[in-house]
Amino acid sequence: MSTQRGTYKVIVKIENKPLIKDPEGEVILRDLLMKNNYNQVSNIRTAKLLEFEVKANNSENAKKIIKEICDELRIYNPLVSNCIIELEEES
Amino acid sequence: MNNNILSQFSLTGKEIKAIKNRLKREPNELEIAMFDAEWSEHCSYKSSKNILKQFPTEGKNVLLGPGFDAGIIDAGNGNVITIHVESHNHPSAIDPYGGAATGVGGILRDIISVGTRPIALLNALRFGEFETSNRSKWLFKQVVKGIGDYGNCVGIPTVGGEVQFDSSFERNCLVDVVCIGYGKENEIVLGEAKNVSDLIIIVGGKTGRDGIQGASFSSQNLGVENEEDRAAVQIPEPFTKKQILEATLESVKTGNITGVKDLGGGGLTCGLSEIGDKGGTGIQIQIEKVPVRDSNMSSMEIMISESQERMLFVVKQGYENEIFKIFDKYDLIYSIIGKVIKDKQLVIKDEEKIIAKLPISFLANAPEIFHKSKKPEYIKLMEKFEKPDQPNNLGKVLLKLLSSPNISSKKWVYEQYDHEVGASTVIKPGKSGAAVLRLPNNRYLALKADGNSKHCYIDPYNGSAGILAESCRNILSVGAKPIAMVDHLQFGNPNDPEVFWSFTESVKGMADYCKAIELPCVGGKVSFYNEDEIENKAIKPSPLSSVIGFIDDPLKIRSLLSQKKSNIILSIGITNEELGGSEYYEQIHKVVGGKVPQVDFKYEKRLHDAYLRVSEEELIDSSIDCSQGGIATALSEICIENNLGAKINIDSINHNCKRHDEMLFSESHGRFLLTSSKNNLDRVMKIFNKYSIPCNQIGELDSNEIIINSNKRNILNVRLDEVKDSYENKISKVMRD
Amino acid sequence: MIRIAIIRFPGTNCDRDTLHVIKNILKINTELVWHTDNNIDKYDVAILPGGFSYGDNLRAGIIAAHSPALKIIKDMANKGKPILGICNGFQILVESGLLPGSLLYNSSLKFVCKWINVKVNNCKTSFTSDCKKSSILRMPIAHAEGRYFIDNKGLKELKRNNQIVFTYVNEQGIKNERSNPNGSLENIAGISNIEGNVVGLMPHPERSSEKILSPYNNDDGIKIIQSVVNNLKG
Repeated sequence: MSTQRGTYKVIVKIENKPLIKDPEGEVILRDLLMKNNYNQVSNIRTAKLLEFEVKANNSENAKKIIKEICDELRIYNPLVSNCIIELEEES
Repeated sequence: MNNNILSQFSLTGKEIKAIKNRLKREPNELEIAMFDAEWSEHCSYKSSKNILKQFPTEGKNVLLGPGFDAGIIDAGNGNVITIHVESHNHPSAIDPYGGAATGVGGILRDIISVGTRPIALLNALRFGEFETSNRSKWLFKQVVKGIGDYGNCVGIPTVGGEVQFDSSFERNCLVDVVCIGYGKENEIVLGEAKNVSDLIIIVGGKTGRDGIQGASFSSQNLGVENEEDRAAVQIPEPFTKKQILEATLESVKTGNITGVKDLGGGGLTCGLSEIGDKGGTGIQIQIEKVPVRDSNMSSMEIMISESQERMLFVVKQGYENEIFKIFDKYDLIYSIIGKVIKDKQLVIKDEEKIIAKLPISFLANAPEIFHKSKKPEYIKLMEKFEKPDQPNNLGKVLLKLLSSPNISSKKWVYEQYDHEVGASTVIKPGKSGAAVLRLPNNRYLALKADGNSKHCYIDPYNGSAGILAESCRNILSVGAKPIAMVDHLQFGNPNDPEVFWSFTESVKGMADYCKAIELPCVGGKVSFYNEDEIENKAIKPSPLSSVIGFIDDPLKIRSLLSQKKSNIILSIGITNEELGGSEYYEQIHKVVGGKVPQVDFKYEKRLHDAYLRVSEEELIDSSIDCSQGGIATALSEICIENNLGAKINIDSINHNCKRHDEMLFSESHGRFLLTSSKNNLDRVMKIFNKYSIPCNQIGELDSNEIIINSNKRNILNVRLDEVKDSYENKISKVMRD
Repeated sequence: MIRIAIIRFPGTNCDRDTLHVIKNILKINTELVWHTDNNIDKYDVAILPGGFSYGDNLRAGIIAAHSPALKIIKDMANKGKPILGICNGFQILVESGLLPGSLLYNSSLKFVCKWINVKVNNCKTSFTSDCKKSSILRMPIAHAEGRYFIDNKGLKELKRNNQIVFTYVNEQGIKNERSNPNGSLENIAGISNIEGNVVGLMPHPERSSEKILSPYNNDDGIKIIQSVVNNLKG
């Protein structure tokens, strides 16, 4: 964990919960991979990725700030999606 | 100026000499870049200006003809219609989604910049054989998505258009967009800087590196290395466009804007030189005042960048704050970058230093290039054409034709476009030959765009006159009178005398048609260099025409649907043995050649007059023009829409054919299929006869089979459900795989 | 005298269409109101029209949902004032919590514009009181993110409280896969809050309020606005 005050890059991955149908993932799997004989792949799910550059005291703080933002502003819809927050080095 | 630097640019030796002679000094690198942008084919029309002079541009409804950002037509009660056409061929071949989307953005900008609200979009697309080519399939999918995403987001309905497939477009797809606007005559602003001391303000997006050398890029052929040339691609921003649209219309209403110019091809260089040239003034700007995306952009990059969503406003000094309030409301970035000056120069300053100074009219008006032309060898060779044999099963032929991509339903395409936004679309895509919109002043506007590269390839003169004839037929068929047109001319390399011959023949054909029926041309574009360096193949000549017309009484609007259920089918016109470039020859027999449908100008004039009379008296119930796929296809479309079969005696049509397939599938011009009632029959025939236009009763809508007889023998018999299935599902089937 | 506000956000497109129907056809006092206007609550009814507010960036309706206008509209809703969300308006109401559930990308992954049929299941809402129960309305849709979704618990609640106002059906009134244009759960085309004064729907009633604009020569859509007008009058 970095303890320096500075600018951190925080990656937010917004993926739909497993119970939600993911037509885009299905089409890529079925129409692109399967049709080109890549049978080893059994599932594809799509997600949205946002990269935040944030000033914080340390890396944990940076993640905390971004989590707050995502929750407060409903950057992800908790009914539908999970929100995974990681620092650039970790991901 | 060393040759290394000069070789980066596409100016010819002759042009560089002309520049040096005029300036009486060496131009610096920035100045050369500015000439390179403004004198590119795309911005200057240097190869085509001379030929385009043939078009008639005046008419009683025309307020402004070609030369500005849009043509302007009087729509009555102080209102106007604006119209313009744009293409984005080269960007769309590399990044089809972004290229097509920004193509829509570009044409919207033109209509917005004259102070009118865009009310409709049309597009015409040409791709390679998408059934067999994955690349063409990909281009098709992405282009349609790009157009849809952009138009839908800005909230302008895409109400019609055309999609054609031909192998000549495999490497170079074509994306044409037409936009119509509506507004008040006293709120029109043009792209001119007329008053000295007016301020020049840039508004919209920041200037970045996108589209660097885009204008000259589009004027070069596409070769392999250019495939990776992503700097030339522009990023679409429809939300910003929507904000600019609302802000511009609100600003224009204040009355304090003297000019608006959109920044498109050639960026600031073209925008600034053109407003000065049109206004008869000079322009001085401070380059450091231009808002930029990357702080280390060079002056050259700033002057030729084609970043999207930027406009120039020319505002009276002292009135700018009122305008800025509006820009703030719509969250737009803006900056005063300069002013209008008396000295007719374009002066670019960086702080105190003058970094470019060029005579403005000289910059804005590239010296014309007069190309050689020569009738192509292939046309002469095609004149020796051997007719294919008539197949046995004409029913099977019809079904195959209906499912061929050029003819079959384009539902897959237009369901991706919001064609209902604006709550004004009276005749929707797929329901008739043309779209019809209700205007805010309660008049109605018919609009259509047409092209036919297959005809134009074999016979550019008749093929091009023919597309206008077709557009006009479509306008007539919905109950309107054609009143103005715009054209888009798309060809290969003009330095090739055979290409240039096709170009001049094409313009001549269209101009002759316009003169014959008194249809003014109020705008247009030329796109050259649609050619593939590797295969050394130019696209088939692809002129496009877009025609508009007004309808005053909504009760006179007609479509494919027989509203009053009348079922007597009439054939108007003469069917000749003219199957050159027809879908029948090319799809069924896979042959290219033969006689292309000829345009008889005197006949066309009489046809228009006759049809308008019949329309005025409301004697027709439904109408369709006969074009691709011939009478058999037109008949199928009427049957599908009315959910009825038909019983026809093909010998009853007026024709000069020797065979049945010729009668059914010839694409001769000047023909319609109409339905009318028993009561109106006599009157309809009387009117057409008066104008010497053949009008024949050929059968009726009935039951659930299409039965065509000749000499009491049955020559074609297909079920309505087979016809529907063939026509409706082809494109969605192919795109799903 | 009834006053209706049509709320405009940056990117709203269908405001003038909605204005035309209410002002010119129904002859009711109505105005276009910019979302930062402080007087939204002075109106009797608020309508959030269709369009692409904020370009549909991040998620359709999410950015507009954070506008201060929505706080005012929430208060109006709590006071029982009728609130209607059409298409993007529906998306905004859902994102701001005024209506439950979520609107996701169409299953086909494509924008779809076509005429569909909806059955009216609940005639007690502010916007369906003029409709007959189980009647079929024909209206056009035009959207890319119209797939309604809610979890099982939420669905049970909706059913229990009769909040599913409109469902996609075929011409015979049958709810099936073919008549579902976007993959919405249980063919849900529009819902209401428990009280019935807040309604959201994906189809566009303002585009089917004049016979000349309908391929079926109908004007079913006008009933939706007419309902609220008659409700408030009577």
